[in-house]
Amino acid sequence: MKDLQRLRTSLKEEVELALNAQVKMEAEASSKYLAMASWCEVNGYLYSAKYFYKQAEEEREHMLKIFHYLADQGVMAYSPEVGPVPHDYPSFRSIFEAALQSEINVTHSINRLVTLCRRVEDYATENFLQWFVKEQVEEEINARRALELFDVIGEEGTGRFQIDRYVYKITHLDVE
Amino acid sequence: MKDSFTLHELYRTAKGFTQQCDLTNRIILTFGEQVIAFRYLDFVSFRRKVDRVNLHDMIFNLDDAYDFEVIEAPKSNQQLVLTLCDLVQLRDLLSGTQFALDLNSMLHEALYTYAS
Repeated sequence: MKDLQRLRTSLKEEVELALNAQVKMEAEASSKYLAMASWCEVNGYLYSAKYFYKQAEEEREHMLKIFHYLADQGVMAYSPEVGPVPHDYPSFRSIFEAALQSEINVTHSINRLVTLCRRVEDYATENFLQWFVKEQVEEEINARRALELFDVIGEEGTGRFQIDRYVYKITHLDVE
Repeated sequence: MKDSFTLHELYRTAKGFTQQCDLTNRIILTFGEQVIAFRYLDFVSFRRKVDRVNLHDMIFNLDDAYDFEVIEAPKSNQQLVLTLCDLVQLRDLLSGTQFALDLNSMLHEALYTYAS
């Protein structure tokens, strides 16, 4: 009797479902960043808006990376439904706090995926996810650095103007 | 007519049974009067559709629209009109089939990897 399941895909169903859930999470993260960019743009923080537009694109790229992996493995990748995301933020700083929290949530989710892969002995997917593990380290560094600017520069006077200009220059290399 | 060496029964309940055809790589579902052949991926998709039906709503909502559920089988141009009892029985049959497929896969991994 043939093993139809294995002939079709090497992915276990629980890994497939978890990866599809991660696709959804990355899409939601992208949508949140887009809302943050919109808030920044209408409130005069144009460089921060650019930063968040770039982040939104990156999250979408992450989503597609997993999407293609699922399809390559012979299973269905589901185009995610994304619900409403917050568009109102009490302050400039609170946006960056929300961004850091979002990155932390994604990191936790990726870590849980890696744990799952090890438990079901799916070393190929674990290897694929290592790129995301590394990426999340950078994403968290960047999000923390953005928040740090509020303490280093201060919000008084032209502080927020300065922070806005520096935020766009943040890259992982800058803070190494 | 497929010969008996290529058809393997996967699971059977009072209402139906499933078989695996090694010639066509299909899973054949016989449920009541209906016979549907699925590719593996389509079978999984169909099982999830059946599992997603909200039985609670069907039980407690008095609207006629909640008396049955219409589920389309992927790529077969067949629809199943299912009552609450049908859905419970179909879920049982599909989850038993999935268990048989999982078990077969585990046995392949455990027994045949080194033998080949």
